[in-house]
Amino acid sequence: MTYCFYICVCLCLVIFQTTIIPHIALFNNFYDLLIPFIIYLGLFRPAREGILFILVLGFIMDSLSGGPFGLYLTTYFWLFIVVKIVIKYLHACNNILLLFIVAAGVLMENIIFIASVSMFGPDSRFLAITMRAVIFQILWAGCTGFFFITFFNHIHKKLEKFSIFRSGTKIT
Amino acid sequence: MIVVNIIILSVNSSRYSSYGSWRIAIFFIAPFQKTVTQSVQFLKNIWGHYFFMVSVAQENDNIKKAINQPIDKNNKNREVEFTPERLSNFRLRNLLNFRETMTNQVLVAEVISQDPSPWFKTIIIDKGKSDGVEKGLPVVVPEGIAGQIIDISYNYSKVLLIIDPNSAVDALVQRTRDRGLIKGESYGRCLSKYVLRKHDVKVGDTVVSSGLDGVFPKGLRVGYVTEIVKRNSGIFQEVTVMPYVDFEKLEEVLIVLDSPKHDFDFVSEQ
Repeated sequence: MTYCFYICVCLCLVIFQTTIIPHIALFNNFYDLLIPFIIYLGLFRPAREGILFILVLGFIMDSLSGGPFGLYLTTYFWLFIVVKIVIKYLHACNNILLLFIVAAGVLMENIIFIASVSMFGPDSRFLAITMRAVIFQILWAGCTGFFFITFFNHIHKKLEKFSIFRSGTKIT
Repeated sequence: MIVVNIIILSVNSSRYSSYGSWRIAIFFIAPFQKTVTQSVQFLKNIWGHYFFMVSVAQENDNIKKAINQPIDKNNKNREVEFTPERLSNFRLRNLLNFRETMTNQVLVAEVISQDPSPWFKTIIIDKGKSDGVEKGLPVVVPEGIAGQIIDISYNYSKVLLIIDPNSAVDALVQRTRDRGLIKGESYGRCLSKYVLRKHDVKVGDTVVSSGLDGVFPKGLRVGYVTEIVKRNSGIFQEVTVMPYVDFEKLEEVLIVLDSPKHDFDFVSEQ
C-alpha cells in the first residue's frame, strides 16, 4: 500500500511537472515538485523504506532530463541524507522546520545544478539570470512547500488507517 | 563518497549519455505524458471552441449593430481572428506550408513533454525508432532550427534544443557569411562563439545554419543578433543570438529524415 502510494504520487508529480507546468506562465520559475516529497520521506519515513525509492526516482528523473546523468540521483540522495541528519536535532513535526526545509532543499538542488551547468563554461550573464530564477523558486518553495509536506503526510496517514481498518475487518 | 560522486558527475557532464536507461524510464512514463498532453490540448481546443462560439455570438450581435457602426464591426472581426482556435489552425497551416517548401524528407512529431529541470532544455516527442527516427537527426519548425535528436526509444525520442548549454550548431551570418558556433545559454538565448573581431557583424543580422556540422541542412534560420561585445583583448567577439523559435510554445516539430551526413568514421580511420 505504501509503495503504491509513493508510485502514484511520484507519477503524478513527474507528469504534472513535465507536461502541465510548462503550459502555465505563472509557474515559469516553479521548483522541482519532487523535492517536498523527498523531504517528506526523509522527515516521516524510515530510511530503509525511502532510500531505494529515492534512487529509483533519481534514475527516472535523470533519464527524462537532458542534464548529466546522475545529477538528480545525487541531489535526491544527498537531500535525503541531509534531512535524516537534520531530524536527529530537530523535531520532524516542527512547523518552523517545515516552512524552511523545502526552500533549503530547493536551494541545495539549484546549487548542485548550477555547479554542473557551470562546468560547460562560465558566463557572466548567466549568474544574474540564474539568481533571479533561484530566488523565485525559493519563494515558491517557502510559500507552498509546507502544504505539500502536510498533504503527503495527511494522505499517507489516512491510507495507513484505511489499510489497518481493512485488515481488521478481514480478521473479525 | 562525495568525491566519487563529484568525479562521476564531472565525467558525465563532459558528454551526454543516458546509458540506455532512458528507454526504460520512457517506456513507463511517456504513455502517461502523452495522454496528459493530449488531454491538455483537447481542453485547450474546447476552451478555444468556447471562445470561438462566444466570439461568433458577439460577432453576430456586432453585425446587427454594424448597420449603424461599420468601424466597430471591423475591430470586432479582427478580435475573432485571434481566438485560440484560429491560432491553432494558423500554426498547423504554417507547419504544413513549411513542410511542402522543404526539399528534405520530413516527419511531423508532437511534443509530449519538456525537461523537468529549468537548467536543461530538452523535449520528448511522440516519434521514435518505429517511425524511422535516428539519433542525431535535426529537428526544425517553420521559424527555424529547434534542435537535434539525442536519444531514441521505439516510440519516442528526446530532442536537445539549441538553447541547451550542451548544444552546438555551426552557423554563419547571412549578410556577411562570417562563421561562428552557436552555443545554447540555457536561458532562452544563444551565443555565437569564435566569431573573429574583424568581422562586420551588426545587431539585427540573421544567423543561418552553415551545413558544415553535418547535422543541420544549410540555410535554415537560427536566430538574429541582439548584442555584440568586443573586449579589449582577444581575437573573437561575443555575439548574442536570439533564436527565432519560441521554445515556450513548441507543440509540433518536423524531423528531417534525410539530413546531410558526414562519414566521420572514415576520417578517424585515416
